[in-house]
Amino acid sequence: MAKILVVDDSNTVRDEVGGFLKKNGLDVITAVDGKDGLVKLKADPGIKLILSDVNMPNMDGLTMVEKIRSELKNSTVNIIMLTTESSPSMKERGKAAGIKGWIVKPFKGESVLETFKKLSA
Amino acid sequence: MGDEVQLVSKVLVLDNSSECFGQIKQFCDQHGLVGLKVNSNNVMNVLSSNVDLGAILLSERYCKSLDDTMELAYQISEVRPELPIVLRRSSESNFDSLPEKQRKIFCRTYTIEDMSALQDVIDEYIFSLVYPNALVRGIAEMTLSVLGTQFKHLKASAETPYIVRDRIIFGEVFSLIPLESSWCRGYMMLQTEEDAVIEVLKLDDVIGGVDYATFRTVNDILGEVTNLTWGAFKTRFIADDDAGPGSTSQVPIVINHLHKCISFGSSNPQLCFKYTLLDEKIGHSISLYQRFVFNLSWSPEDFKEIQISTDDLVDSGELELF
Repeated sequence: MAKILVVDDSNTVRDEVGGFLKKNGLDVITAVDGKDGLVKLKADPGIKLILSDVNMPNMDGLTMVEKIRSELKNSTVNIIMLTTESSPSMKERGKAAGIKGWIVKPFKGESVLETFKKLSA
Repeated sequence: MGDEVQLVSKVLVLDNSSECFGQIKQFCDQHGLVGLKVNSNNVMNVLSSNVDLGAILLSERYCKSLDDTMELAYQISEVRPELPIVLRRSSESNFDSLPEKQRKIFCRTYTIEDMSALQDVIDEYIFSLVYPNALVRGIAEMTLSVLGTQFKHLKASAETPYIVRDRIIFGEVFSLIPLESSWCRGYMMLQTEEDAVIEVLKLDDVIGGVDYATFRTVNDILGEVTNLTWGAFKTRFIADDDAGPGSTSQVPIVINHLHKCISFGSSNPQLCFKYTLLDEKIGHSISLYQRFVFNLSWSPEDFKEIQISTDDLVDSGELELF
């Protein structure tokens, strides 16, 4: 089964987002920062979609995305940033690294569920 | 909130003179002060339960004797040295006629006939920093919006924003996050009471996925509210092309757990907002204090609210696909 990796340093967000996706039949694993996210992605080829925060300790979300693209060149994982950040320059950096989309928090699950299902299929 | 945001500040009025109290109240009303009149046998209790004050207005005849009044002033000064104490004298005697020891605890003296010195204190110690209306109004709006999304079952409301000189921490848990731009450098701080949050979380399904609430749950929730508010602040007030702070200087932040006191190294007054989250069904509420401490740099003349083009606007929570 395709999996979604939720990367956020906030336990509240991991619970909220992960809980919502699980309740809607999706398989979810979580990571606490970019470094942890990278490790979990490398260990699990079943991950098809990553939802990641930007501002996190140890490794931020955009750096994680750039590392995925440079260290896992064959990875086709879809990546969406879920963050409080909304600056155009950050979005541009994300686009350049090949992210699929951007959501400004707070998370409203119902409006994005179908897209998440498609991207994680 | 209308266009003009009238900032206020809470002051303790330690004055028993019924003749003078009317004039002091009128002065407070005219100068954005919210005066709290206190009985002399209850001052220290009131002081400990009001951790967000701007100043103390003390009459030299407040206690039974002048010596007792001075002793009270010493006690207040010892526990709250950051609060300016203004002494109302009955005679024309000026500040310089006070003994040196007393000059150290009072910032000024005034008489009821001439309140200009009191006016000077208010200008110098409380309303010394300019806070743009759009900033004050915007902070309250975006924080209420964040609270509404995080605590869906609670009614969020904000009191009139005010200025504090106190450095006492409210409650048991607080968060700090830096604010850095070309026009401001400092911190946003959110403070709340752990038990109040846990009680509300226990009684209602406030945050999805929380089975039981502990202090760590409170930490997480406060952290997320801080994060969301910080993001909203940056979106609304810090332009994408903002050059950022010209300086990287820092000062130590000192926290004294015993006295519940936090110092940012600056004696500047702080901008404070108090929010209440009320569970209307059961009457439980959470108080949340939000303080803005621009201790490293403050240039309100360079502040501007970001105008977001409606073409570029994507609602929060909506997915913007690339």
